[in-house]
Amino acid sequence: MAQIPNLENSPINLTALRDQSQKELLNILKNIRGKKCLVLDPKLSGSLSLIVPTSVLKENGAELRHLSAEPVQTECTKVIYLVRCQIDLMKLVCSNIQSDISKGLQREYHLYFVPRRTVACEKILEEEKVHQLVNIGEYPLYIVPLDEDVLSFELDMALRECLVGGDTSSLWHIAKAIHKLEFLFGVIPNVRAKGKASARVADLLNHMQVEEPVILSDMGAPEINTLILLDREVDMVTPMCSQLTYEGLLDEFLRVNNGSVELDASIMGVQQEGKKVKVPLNSSDKLYKETRDLSFEVVIQVLRQKATSMKQDYTEMTTTTQTVSELKDFVKKLNSLPEITRHINLAQHLSTFTSKPSFQGQLDIEQTLVEGDNYEVCIDYIEEMINKQEPLVNVLRLLVLFSTTNSGLYKKNFDYLRRELLHSYGFEHMSTLNNLERAGFLKKQESKSNWVTIKRALQLVAQDETTSSHDIDYVFAGYAPLSIRLVQHAIRSGWRPIEEILKLLPGPHLESKRGGHVKSSPIDARPGMPTSLDKVTDGHRSLVLVVFIGGVTFAEISALRFLTAQEGMAYDVIVGTTKMVNGRTLVETFMDNLG
Amino acid sequence: MAAVSVAAEWQLLYNRYYRKPEIYTMQWKQFDLNRNKVACAPFGGPIAVIRDDSKIVQLYAESALRKLRIFNSAGVQLSETVWRHSGGRLVGMAWTDDQILVCVVQDGTVYRYNVHAELQEPNISMGKECFEQNVVECVFWGNGMVCITEANQIFCIPDFQNPNPCKLADPLLEEFPLCMTVIEPQYTMSGNVEVLLGVNDHVLLVEEEGVQQLGVGVGPLQKMVVSRNGKLLASFTHDGRVLVISTDFSKIIFEYNCESALPPEQLAWCGMDSVLLYWDDVLLMVGPYGDPVRYLYDEPIILIPESDGVRILSNTSMEFLQRVPDSTVSIFKIGSTLPAALLYDALEHFDKRSAKADENLRLIRSSLPEAVEACIDAAGHEFDTSRQRTLLRAASYGQAFCSQFQRDRLQEMCKTLRVLNAVRSYEIGIPLSIQQYKLLTASVLIGRLINCHQHFLAFRISEYTGLNQEVVIMHWACAKITASLAIHDAALLEILLDKLKLCKGISYAAVAAHADKSGRRKLAAMLVEHEPRSSKQVPLLLSIGEEDTALVKATESGDTDLIYLVLFHIWQKRPPLEFFGMVQARPLGRDLFISYARCYKHEFLKDFFLSTGQLQDVAFLLWKESWELVKNPMASKGSPLHGPRIKIIEKAQNLFSETKEHAFEAKAAEEHAKLLRMQHELEVTTKQAIFVDSSVNDTIRTCIVLGNHRAAMKVRTEFKVSEKRWYWLKVFALVTTRDWDALEKFSKEKRPPTGYKPFVEACVDAGEKDEAIKYIPKLADPREKAEAYARLGMAKEAADAASQSKDNELLGKLKLTFAQNAAASSIFDTLRDRLTFQGGS
Repeated sequence: MAQIPNLENSPINLTALRDQSQKELLNILKNIRGKKCLVLDPKLSGSLSLIVPTSVLKENGAELRHLSAEPVQTECTKVIYLVRCQIDLMKLVCSNIQSDISKGLQREYHLYFVPRRTVACEKILEEEKVHQLVNIGEYPLYIVPLDEDVLSFELDMALRECLVGGDTSSLWHIAKAIHKLEFLFGVIPNVRAKGKASARVADLLNHMQVEEPVILSDMGAPEINTLILLDREVDMVTPMCSQLTYEGLLDEFLRVNNGSVELDASIMGVQQEGKKVKVPLNSSDKLYKETRDLSFEVVIQVLRQKATSMKQDYTEMTTTTQTVSELKDFVKKLNSLPEITRHINLAQHLSTFTSKPSFQGQLDIEQTLVEGDNYEVCIDYIEEMINKQEPLVNVLRLLVLFSTTNSGLYKKNFDYLRRELLHSYGFEHMSTLNNLERAGFLKKQESKSNWVTIKRALQLVAQDETTSSHDIDYVFAGYAPLSIRLVQHAIRSGWRPIEEILKLLPGPHLESKRGGHVKSSPIDARPGMPTSLDKVTDGHRSLVLVVFIGGVTFAEISALRFLTAQEGMAYDVIVGTTKMVNGRTLVETFMDNLG
Repeated sequence: MAAVSVAAEWQLLYNRYYRKPEIYTMQWKQFDLNRNKVACAPFGGPIAVIRDDSKIVQLYAESALRKLRIFNSAGVQLSETVWRHSGGRLVGMAWTDDQILVCVVQDGTVYRYNVHAELQEPNISMGKECFEQNVVECVFWGNGMVCITEANQIFCIPDFQNPNPCKLADPLLEEFPLCMTVIEPQYTMSGNVEVLLGVNDHVLLVEEEGVQQLGVGVGPLQKMVVSRNGKLLASFTHDGRVLVISTDFSKIIFEYNCESALPPEQLAWCGMDSVLLYWDDVLLMVGPYGDPVRYLYDEPIILIPESDGVRILSNTSMEFLQRVPDSTVSIFKIGSTLPAALLYDALEHFDKRSAKADENLRLIRSSLPEAVEACIDAAGHEFDTSRQRTLLRAASYGQAFCSQFQRDRLQEMCKTLRVLNAVRSYEIGIPLSIQQYKLLTASVLIGRLINCHQHFLAFRISEYTGLNQEVVIMHWACAKITASLAIHDAALLEILLDKLKLCKGISYAAVAAHADKSGRRKLAAMLVEHEPRSSKQVPLLLSIGEEDTALVKATESGDTDLIYLVLFHIWQKRPPLEFFGMVQARPLGRDLFISYARCYKHEFLKDFFLSTGQLQDVAFLLWKESWELVKNPMASKGSPLHGPRIKIIEKAQNLFSETKEHAFEAKAAEEHAKLLRMQHELEVTTKQAIFVDSSVNDTIRTCIVLGNHRAAMKVRTEFKVSEKRWYWLKVFALVTTRDWDALEKFSKEKRPPTGYKPFVEACVDAGEKDEAIKYIPKLADPREKAEAYARLGMAKEAADAASQSKDNELLGKLKLTFAQNAAASSIFDTLRDRLTFQGGS
């Protein structure tokens, strides 16, 4: 099975988008004749694996290397660096080239920036005196489709850059990416945004439409009807909770990277000592498509059921005489056997994590935190975690959850826990703490928390358990993600009815109409009257692009898919995100690696 | 009949008709071609004239200073300038494809003028050799030129857009060649120009790389000229023959014996069909067959070759000699009974209200479409507007009777003719034939018009032909700025905006850039304000020194790359303090600068923070530096106590303590320094380099593991480690060393503040069942007990403990843990049943 997902079932033509990126990359290779060494920055190489199979790159005469501080080892005289436009990567490129020069190696250098060349990067090339030696180009990769309904902008540091460093380059990138989509699919007429970054992106998008307009008359009706922009900062509670969907758990424990997990071959039933295998996870795998969004408990049942029925068929097959067509059916079923085996193996491996008491304890404390009513218990729990020296990321994840739902810690606890952290894990983590503080994810309490109000108004925690099967709260332990509740409202009725609640959350919110190309009923045309999307009107499903600035979790995507699959929902959703995240990966981006 | 009079003006060359209508009466007064050097641009372009300094002429009432004058093709003067250049006689003068007048003087300097007779700097020098040897002759083509020196060396400028003179191979001549011509680069195999030299009885082909001898015995050739498509060479031999040869000299196409052996003054191709030779008073047209046509002139003329004929300029008129197009012949040839002629005739009858019109139409019914087509085509070839009209009317008349005819053909032709007639007028003076117009294309024509500052006409034509008007308006705006030195900025801005707004998406930045170049910085600033594209606007603002505005605009655009552009610009230009001030005022700019500097300009960033009083940020930087030092072993050498690292950390501590908000960080830095000192000491006393850079906890743990309990206690007191943490730490450390006695002793020291949980967990984690069992009963919470037993796989004990807790959920969870174990799971089922029963009762 290929790691590159099949995009044919996407509500918009993402295949064309990916094909273009593929073509652009191959053109870069083709335009540099002969054998060449393609040096990729490691993170980019992950993203590219979703665009072009490495075999195709090799067919085009490219030897592949990863960019590192070590000089490039190759026989080729032509070296192509393909790197994201980041300053630290420039330093590596420069040191690579300088080392070649000192060795007297004569090479032809090409430097392609993803997605575009920037002044800051070129400045470093100039200062390091290698600017004259490289041919500079651009590879405009702004969007990587992860699946038929998920697009990633591959900006893993976006949240940190925006909130800690104040560097909003990623927002420009996001706006550009959405604008690129508009060139393909038309100007998106409705925009709803919540959060500082989202509002800025909406603003930039309008700015870009002025500077570089998508000509409205050139296109038919816009394919994407509504754009919803949401800052991760608005909802830091959700990613800090443990995801309980199949896909979510896979990510929590095994880390889904660029649409696949890597684990020991033995887990997948291949007896090869110490060998790792990559298991692709996307909707090309039918069974995965069916189960990824379900609660893990349900998935186990589904798998068990499938296995049992398989076994039953098999026994019937050996005992009684069958007609040819029955045989054929059986063989057809057998074809799905590898899929079932694969997921049984994965599920089994996952359950070794989920059955641990520590995981249960973790879920309990998360629930307590989300309920937001037992301060002391939480403090004690976190202190004990520190005393046990559990992995720092886990401690920080809970601390962030705590600080968010509680609008900060009391000064006494704040200073105490921070000191305990530094003593237990080392003083080098002071900058990590400082980063989290600057981002506002870890702070001392200055005002009363309004989390309880929000929770109640948006019904984030089910009151009695019977309702839960019809709601999105199954993706976490009985907690309906705030982010998705907001999206739900934005789609259903716009911001107006929940304005009071929105004011309690960080950042401004805005709602706007664009393009003047909207074919809408007279009621919708009235200003201030939001378009309602969730009623079937003419059998036509409209399309909503939900963009999470700062990352989204698999569980949230599952919740969105759950919503669109509900009866009477007349819309499809495509998710755009700066990066797929979970609590751990998100916190990790704020950690500085010193010492 | 009118038709007869038309054909009466034609001349027949073998079986082809030629005509030579006068298109202009020259507007210049008392002008003598003989006294002047003249350069005429093809495609009806301008005519440059300057008094010939190689001839002795009588000066009438005029200045002795020579004047370069430029006229349009109708003899209306466009511009003039005084020629003051040194460098010897003017050797060659010609117009390039871009309508730049190129003048080459003896010393090899090339002066360039535009149609406004404005010198285009810089002048080009053909090089030292030319300077020393003197240029004798030049040959020009499209955008290039070759010249030959007195020393018979050949130099070339292949492209005036990028004027780099180069030298061609040395033809090794003793004498000056008889004649010289070139084959344009676009027609040669190598893609470089090839020079043909008539030498003795043969021709030398000179290229950059080498010299080749061609056509031995054909000559000697006195004059040569290459046809428009580069395939044929027309030449005049020393014995008075006209010789047309293929340019590879493989074949003689035709030969004609003239009466005189005197070489003609001018030799030119007329289209591709015939060759013109001009001697004083006589113009001879020679074709491959039949007798030549002879025209007589009693005044000097100049032949201007065009793609479809030759224009003939005399002192008083401009004529166009061309082969009569087939469609025109079919209509006007005397006695023609072709459908087109009958249609033309029918219109005449129709106008006279004669029934013969109908008769004619009936005769040609079946071939009416081709007749209509011929009339339209013929109209296109006419210069005379009334004849155009009649022909178009004939076409329109015929069209009414044809069902299948492409109607827009007529409309198209009307449009084209309108454009042509407009530019042929005397004041514009561009006598393009329809074929030339198609070859030139409308956009090039518009380009030429705007170069002549005929913006209004250019605008109308581009509007009429559906071309983008941006080019015209843009050029107009720039020209307007150049020409409006006397108009105030505000007033001029208004005039410009009024027109610029006609064109959506026009680049205000480009106009502003021009204003800036013209020294109107203020106007530039006003204009650039209107530019919607920040990526164009910002660089320009920088170049006109509006740095602050540039920073504002870049910030508005949200494009961080633009902000960096501005930042680096200011950074480079201003002293640091001024730069800091500007940056500090703009949060986004400041943050980006910090991001960059954090990665790349550490020291500079420190200066910045110091200048803005952000001491805590300096402290953070210092503190990070202290970690950098670890990676650099050279730096940490020397006395450990006063090691540079600790010094830096203490410096950071001092800076942190400057602000109240950073008391925590100050304390942490202080502790960090203290810890490092203690660790150094420990390393010295234990002689083991395992302490430095571990955490407080790790240090204590290591001490305990090493059995150094005093040191552990010391660290504990020094850092005020809490009782709870101390218990967790010590228990785990003791389990690591498997010192079970010490562990038990520790558990009995006093009632542990953490309860017995650490003891249980540490033992269970270490897999020490026997040790763990000692402590599990001491756990206070039955839940914890149950879980601990469960982790050890003791189902029965776990169940008992769980049942004490009366927690149904817990039982369920435990059952899940024991799922694989059938016996254990049944225990839970019974217990749960009992519980449920109890709960239900």
